[in-house]
Amino acid sequence: MVNGYKPTTLKEALSIRAGEKVIPYAGGTDLMVQNPKEAVYLFLNDIEELREIKEDDKYIRIGAAVTFTEALSSDLVPALMKEAVSRIAAPAIRNAGTFGGNIGNGSDKADSVLVEFAMGASVRLLSEKGERILPVREFCISRRVTAIRDDELIAEILLPKDKCSYSYYYQKVGGRNALAISRVAFAGAYDVRDGVIRDFSAAVLGSGGVFQRYKEIEDLIIGKTVDEFKANRDAYLSAYGEKLTFARGRVSAEYRKTVVLNLIRDYLESVG
Amino acid sequence: MNGIRFRLNGKDVCYEGSATDRLLDVLRDTYDMKSVKCGCKEGECGACAVLIDSVLYNSCCVAVGAVEAHEILTVEGFKETEQFKALSKAFAELSAVQCGFCIPGMVLASQALLMKNPHPTKEQVQEGLSGNLCRCTGYNAIVNAVLNASKEGDGLW
Amino acid sequence: MKDICKSVVKKDHDPKIKGETRYLVDYNLTDKGERILCGKLLHSPYAKARVLSVTVPDLPEGYFYIDKTDIPGDNNVNIVLDDTPVFCRDTVEYIGEPIAMVAGPDEKEVDRILSEIKVEFEELAPELDIRNGTKNFFEYEFGHGDVEKAFREADKIYEEEYLTGYQDQTYLEPQGMMAEPEENGVMYVHGSLQCAYYVHGAVMRALGVDASKVHIFQDPTGGGFGGKEDFPSIIGCQVAVAAKKANAPVRCVFDRREDLEFTPKRHPSLCRYKVAVKDGRVTGADCEVIFNAGAYSTLSAVVLQRGIIAAIGVYDIENVHVTGKAVKTNTNPCGAYRGFGAPQTFFAMETMMSHIAQDLGEDSIEFKERHFVKQGDTTSTSGRYHFPVPLPRMLAQVDEMADLRRKHKEYMKAQTGRYRRGIGFSAVFHGAGFTGSGERDFIKATAKLRKYKDGTVEVLASNGDIGQGVRTTFPKIVAHELNLPLEKVYYNHPDTARVPDSGPTVASRSLMIVGELLRRAAIKLRTIWRDNEEQEVEEHYKEPDFMIPFYLDRFEGDAYPTYAWAVSAVEVELDTYTGLSKILGAYGSFDVGTPVDYNIVMGQMEGGFLQGLGYASIEKMNYDNKGRIRNNSFTDYLIPTAMDVPNLQVKLYVEEYPDGPYGAKGAGELPLVAPPAAYIEAVEQAMGGSKRHKLSFIPFSAEDVIHELNKEVL
Repeated sequence: MVNGYKPTTLKEALSIRAGEKVIPYAGGTDLMVQNPKEAVYLFLNDIEELREIKEDDKYIRIGAAVTFTEALSSDLVPALMKEAVSRIAAPAIRNAGTFGGNIGNGSDKADSVLVEFAMGASVRLLSEKGERILPVREFCISRRVTAIRDDELIAEILLPKDKCSYSYYYQKVGGRNALAISRVAFAGAYDVRDGVIRDFSAAVLGSGGVFQRYKEIEDLIIGKTVDEFKANRDAYLSAYGEKLTFARGRVSAEYRKTVVLNLIRDYLESVG
Repeated sequence: MNGIRFRLNGKDVCYEGSATDRLLDVLRDTYDMKSVKCGCKEGECGACAVLIDSVLYNSCCVAVGAVEAHEILTVEGFKETEQFKALSKAFAELSAVQCGFCIPGMVLASQALLMKNPHPTKEQVQEGLSGNLCRCTGYNAIVNAVLNASKEGDGLW
Repeated sequence: MKDICKSVVKKDHDPKIKGETRYLVDYNLTDKGERILCGKLLHSPYAKARVLSVTVPDLPEGYFYIDKTDIPGDNNVNIVLDDTPVFCRDTVEYIGEPIAMVAGPDEKEVDRILSEIKVEFEELAPELDIRNGTKNFFEYEFGHGDVEKAFREADKIYEEEYLTGYQDQTYLEPQGMMAEPEENGVMYVHGSLQCAYYVHGAVMRALGVDASKVHIFQDPTGGGFGGKEDFPSIIGCQVAVAAKKANAPVRCVFDRREDLEFTPKRHPSLCRYKVAVKDGRVTGADCEVIFNAGAYSTLSAVVLQRGIIAAIGVYDIENVHVTGKAVKTNTNPCGAYRGFGAPQTFFAMETMMSHIAQDLGEDSIEFKERHFVKQGDTTSTSGRYHFPVPLPRMLAQVDEMADLRRKHKEYMKAQTGRYRRGIGFSAVFHGAGFTGSGERDFIKATAKLRKYKDGTVEVLASNGDIGQGVRTTFPKIVAHELNLPLEKVYYNHPDTARVPDSGPTVASRSLMIVGELLRRAAIKLRTIWRDNEEQEVEEHYKEPDFMIPFYLDRFEGDAYPTYAWAVSAVEVELDTYTGLSKILGAYGSFDVGTPVDYNIVMGQMEGGFLQGLGYASIEKMNYDNKGRIRNNSFTDYLIPTAMDVPNLQVKLYVEEYPDGPYGAKGAGELPLVAPPAAYIEAVEQAMGGSKRHKLSFIPFSAEDVIHELNKEVL
């Protein structure tokens, strides 16, 4: 076809990716808004290997070309991820939009990526030379900038299986009830056993440019008993207040910061 | 030879242009499917919605190369079906069509919803149509029409 | 319910739902089989600048560059005053002002040429703030009683300032027009429009030809809401000039971004109100109303008139003084949008009344109720409310639907926790038909019926169906009087070569004014009906004889023959963590007289209601310090989706108007007007009432909620 390649196997796709200057195309919902002139697309939407949701002993593996709608009907995808993708835009966009595209286009408003941050997910990248597995926080460098190389394709999103059963908290704040890009979103997951917080995460979308997650604050919390945690809640909240940064934007930084801190407070109150 | 082959309203077609062309433009300009309306070209209004393999998509956000070997349905192909007639009757009974510009997309969004869920609740209809903007009706008549179609057209979906 | 109220299948239902209706953008070729050139505008990038030179690249064969030097007639678009140019004069006055058009067969090539045109500008300082605007396009003043005395004698005086923002009509079909040169020097211009004869007058003037040389047709139009009242005259002139130069058909269709950024919107406003209260009653109101007109005056005169006439709302106030100004700024010219100036002032007055009541410690519903006008009372312009005012009964209807009075008191009590509730109430009127003596002196509507030999009857009028259903309701009236099946009567989209001027499709006038002419024409036809003959009857507008003559110079007399009434309640649940307000219920009672088709009227009420809620909450659009509108896409300008107001309930209350067909009054604009103040009162109540948080502007977004709540912490 003119200005496009439509492989049906991953092997074929990787060979085209290595040899030609192409833009990987999965769902098109973001790419087609601009539809850059002179583009040549590498269509990935019919590659079966990229359309599977699988599990192994460590991960739930979501193929890069899996759509949000498909994830919503899968038994493997964890509830936190389902909740986030169920609020994306509207049915026609969820039917087209994919996990690979959401992270691959480097958007700082990508709802599925926020959950990947919160769950400590990784991205599996493939090229003809082999594979790389990068934690999502290393893959997403800044707005519109990712660590992908010119010969690589995103193959899968790897969600750590042990975290899929955690308790979670999710809130999206958009401009209206549907067809809304997140102005702020918050995802957190935690694991409490025998009165001790074994694991804890909190991730923020809406700072402008990057997703934020602070390991140093989480480390203060992990290992504490619920009682200790409750006694220190205000300190954790102010630690977030000091750490979080908000760039200027169309929606004011004041608003985004207030809302995020309100949500973190609510999250902290829900733990335990 | 090198064209993009797909089925459009039950007929095989082969598009010879660029794979990056918007499906919306291809359907309107090459295949004269004028029921497919352009409201924004950014995936934010649903006026250009079509069904691809029975799933709802905004055709403005689909590059035609992506639909190779797939089956597209527009209102031109849908309008002779019993399901369309049930929807049309329900829309007519509530005068749910005002300016009409969002309507073909709205009808296909309704069809996609009813195929997935033949007996939706009001909330499910509202969600199913939430990607299709209508500025005229306030949505009540459209939502109620879909609910009525689902009742009266019971068994069609 | 009268027979005429029973809903029928709309005449245009079938082709529209089947996608067979041909909108302007759906023509592949003209009806004569000619190729259509694509015309696109070169817009000014500056809010104010002198155009020093324009360098056009070499044009390929078949491509044209069109600017003011190509205008055969007058470079002024006929609107109200003569200040809007077809293509810019020596200076550009707002970002987006059309400098020129490029037309040619291939859109991509037209885009390339446009991108290569070099314009040399000398930037000038733009005026962007209405508070220190230096030019007023229009200034009005009127009143009655003695406000100074009222203030002198008042127990308490309240002063507040209200702001409202832009609102875009956001019809789903963007603006577009096409011109086709015909034989004998006739220019055929058609497209997406509300007022065929407005375009007719404008194109005649731009081409410098007489009426017989211009011919206008309304294509099926994908929504208007006022946005296609004046603007099609401007694009119509541009394509006509282009088609004349190219001697070929030229079509110009805006894309969504152009449409959102460069076409008319609702005027942003600033209202300063000063109100006197004595013995718990409002005794005087001094209202200063300022509208941001934008760079050219377009429709601002008439929008402002309707706005200031509504300045004191639905209340009986003894002493009133009102001033109105339409201020020039170097921004996009504002125009008509459903409600036409009245939503701004009703928002101010309704909110003011609520704030005063809260300060006095009285429930605002009861406070407002005590001030409702009644039949026989004097209007703001010293005219009369000639007919019964059903507001108390409509309030009872809404109370029953929404449990309004109980909730309104309950939510006034202090609330704690993340989620808090509020319910707001607002009551408004909409003056039916043109303001003042416009119908009698300017419009002078004529409508015709033509009966053919086969017994079918055609309605001949110039009111365009823009979704509101006149292609159905006009024939319904005629069929009813002639006792014919509805299939025998039809109404096509207006074509000025075939139809008389029954006036524009504006001011909620089509059904009330033209519908009545058609009803009378049908009665006339019935009395002279002869089978197997072609017959034609004609009716002209006559002002009802009860009217107190209106004098525009003094704003005195009956501004409207009658009024449509609305009572709305909006219940919200405010999330104090995110600022988002969930609309739990939106309730309205509307009196538009007899509904000449129940479903059609309900569709108008529900659609208008939702637009009013959008206006108050999420529809945010403004310009930056360069005068550029940033909210120019559907991701930045949000209108409600099907999930935003899931519980919208509307009831009709019928107070018949004897001079409207079967008792019908104007309907289209009314439902948008009341919801904004009701929404704001609800949000304010959820935030603890106006003593803690006094809200005074719309749209009031989630961001504004948080900003307001943050003040509490400080």
